[in-house]
Amino acid sequence: MQMRLFIPREHARVDDLNASLEAVLANNGVSRAIQCDVRLIVEELASNAIEHGDPTRVGAEEHELCVDIGIREHLLTLEFRESGAAFNPLDQPPPDLDADILDRPTGGLGLHLVRQVAEEAAYQRIGNYNVLRLTLRIPTEESDA
Amino acid sequence: MSLSIDIHPTGKGSQRVTLAGRLDTHTYEDLDEALAPLMTRQLHSLVLDLSGLEYISSAGIRSIFKARKTLAPHGGKVLLVNPQPQIQKVLDMVKAVPLNEIFSSTAEADAYLDVMQRKVLRAGEEDDD
Repeated sequence: MQMRLFIPREHARVDDLNASLEAVLANNGVSRAIQCDVRLIVEELASNAIEHGDPTRVGAEEHELCVDIGIREHLLTLEFRESGAAFNPLDQPPPDLDADILDRPTGGLGLHLVRQVAEEAAYQRIGNYNVLRLTLRIPTEESDA
Repeated sequence: MSLSIDIHPTGKGSQRVTLAGRLDTHTYEDLDEALAPLMTRQLHSLVLDLSGLEYISSAGIRSIFKARKTLAPHGGKVLLVNPQPQIQKVLDMVKAVPLNEIFSSTAEADAYLDVMQRKVLRAGEEDDD
């Protein structure tokens, strides 16, 4: 299975996108657990783009965020492609998870979750685009139990 | 599917809130708003029953952090009950909650609260805690 989705620059519409994405994954026999992982990745990366994107460019046609989703055998790949200034989400400092919970800054949690959930993650700057490729392993029925 | 928030009657400085659905970018503000009026100085424990919660993202985690920060200055705690696998996984990944503040049932959380309550009373008498 291979498909490309454009990620809207509005929180409310990201939810719609996730709903259709979940339906597609379910139709392809992807487990609930992996559907949740994908939802988490898409939500966190979309939120990050919405909150940190340059608002003057959000409406510009050349500024877009899309994701290619592929399922092949036991691997699910998500490739996010975003135009704009170079930004490597994998390069961001991890949140200080050992600090006292009450003192911890709450930023950086989303990208941390993305890095944790993905089995493999790679960033590449290709031309004008930030490309983030994430891989998830789809458990087989037996290993899922 | 969105988030459903069920606020139980308050009892003895303890407040139970049952969450179901998804706690994420789209719903965390609803939770923040629902909790705000409950966060009084008298509240020593906020028990979030997560049995019906199916999904949480970093926005939801931040709401739980926020509640914890609000209650902490006067010794209040946030306890989580029966988180489902996705929720537990995310909590673990961000080390969001000390393990001794997660319970598998409300009965277990109640028992813990009773012990805490007695400790507080004793500490008040002996001042050794």
